[in-house]
Amino acid sequence: MAKKVSLLEDFTKGIWKENPILIALLGLCPTLAVTISVENGLAMGLAASFVLICSSTLISLLRNLIPKQVRIASFIVIIATFVTIADRYLAAFYPEISKNLGPFIPLIIVNCMILGRQEAFASKNGVGRSILDALGMGLGFTLVLLILSAIRELLGSGTILGYQIMWDSFSPWMVMILPPGAFLTLGLMIGASNWINDRRAR
Amino acid sequence: MELLVIFISAAIVNNFVLSQFLGICPFVGVSKRVDSAVSMGMAVTFVMTITAVVTWLIYHLLLVPYNLEILQYVSFILVIASLVQLVEMFIRKVSKPLYDALGIFLPLITTNCAILGLALIAVLREYSFMESLIYGIGAGAGFTLALVIMAGIREELELADVPKHFQGAGITMIIAGSLALAFMGFAGLI
Amino acid sequence: MNTSVKMILVLTIISTLSGGLLSYWDAYTSEKIDAYRQQEIQQAVKEVLPDTDEEKVLEAGGFTFYVGYKDSDITGVAFVAEGGGFQDIISLMVGVTPDFSEFTGLTVLSQKETPGLGTKIAYDPSREGSETWFIDQFQGKKTGNLTYVKNQKASGDSEIEAITGATISSNAVITILNKHVPTAKSAFESINQ
Repeated sequence: MAKKVSLLEDFTKGIWKENPILIALLGLCPTLAVTISVENGLAMGLAASFVLICSSTLISLLRNLIPKQVRIASFIVIIATFVTIADRYLAAFYPEISKNLGPFIPLIIVNCMILGRQEAFASKNGVGRSILDALGMGLGFTLVLLILSAIRELLGSGTILGYQIMWDSFSPWMVMILPPGAFLTLGLMIGASNWINDRRAR
Repeated sequence: MELLVIFISAAIVNNFVLSQFLGICPFVGVSKRVDSAVSMGMAVTFVMTITAVVTWLIYHLLLVPYNLEILQYVSFILVIASLVQLVEMFIRKVSKPLYDALGIFLPLITTNCAILGLALIAVLREYSFMESLIYGIGAGAGFTLALVIMAGIREELELADVPKHFQGAGITMIIAGSLALAFMGFAGLI
Repeated sequence: MNTSVKMILVLTIISTLSGGLLSYWDAYTSEKIDAYRQQEIQQAVKEVLPDTDEEKVLEAGGFTFYVGYKDSDITGVAFVAEGGGFQDIISLMVGVTPDFSEFTGLTVLSQKETPGLGTKIAYDPSREGSETWFIDQFQGKKTGNLTYVKNQKASGDSEIEAITGATISSNAVITILNKHVPTAKSAFESINQ
């Protein structure tokens, strides 16, 4: 029974308790940069999750073969390989999204969230648990991206996924889709998540 | 003239941190005190300049002639990781005080997305060798500028009464938002 | 086994596998990516040269010219012009009449202007029905000496109405055109003589 709880915990901790963005403050660059629209946020979340899940699986399988001294270099090469695959896939099949995200797809390589999970989890645990961990972290990352991009797109353009949501006379808050809006919204979200955690603890 | 425009664009108008969102992790992590911010900024500028030069050489003399552009990401990140190691060893040998000042920040630089971002953007914009070099220095200057301004504000902030849940990362993001707003005023300078 | 031998061995194996996998993936995707780029250029050329049946490609003076023909007469020339915008490079596909005196059309190939303001040079969602009004107004204007007017309708052959709140982006497009059309003209004439 104890084992079951811990497996569920492996998966769920990434979504809230150890959320990579709101709690651990990892992977902030793509979070801020691409969340101009829900479409971009979703694409970035899925691409990063794909890389995270593939890398975690492979590295967990290879964890006993890779010598300690070269583990970081090996992790980076493996992550960079999967990122190249994802990047080329988007460029070939979803050229518009690939154009919008620009250099932020290759920059998944240096997303501290992904390297961090390899170092802290996949290189120490079995393949099943590593996949669960990667799924949870990927989901937590994608969810925050979705919420952030939904807020920014709704207030900044008056739309969600390109569909008009706000009333006709609504004048978009331009600042929300500009860089300052990204920082302000994420700052408020971090504050809100701290507040919710505090309320729960009490 | 072109080179000056590239420098000002990278350092101020399209500031790496505040308008391109590159290098946010160290920007949040190492901006508590001005002196460590200056050291971090120097270390990053140093590595950025070398990276700009070396990745340009690798891309144009190795990857393009042999049609290996698909290995761009893998080779760039390996180059950056080994460069950071080399720089660390070199500084330790040459100057002990400098190593003490920069030492702990150097390993962090490998995963600073501003470095890889710089190399990728320079390729994307088809910069020449000189342009890449200037772009690297400008980006480093811009990173240092943002980091030092932020550290200055955060030092003052210790005396301010920040709402409990916003202490740390929350207020840093909101200040960064105001700074980004201020930096937007530079747009159109070039 | 010696650790350093093992270290080198493991790194070599991982890098080789990575290289092999990627070269396979490269072969699979690059065809599609190239095809998309070709198609994008083709489509832009069609848009800026409305009155053509077929195009021929010519290269001269650093420009690639797409020469449009209809019933074996030249009806227009298209080429790519680039220059600095508000934040990053703006890349335009320019269509002109065979003597380079008038614009036949203009499209934006790529731009990274301020979202919601400068991006209106390519697409303005606030003007329903004519989202591309800014670039559309170039059609029929005289080349060489474009100027812009603010907050009023453009009149005359060389006047362009600037986008409210994005004068710099609007002016950047005009500057690119004023600068590159004459150079393109002399490059094009040098091969046709």
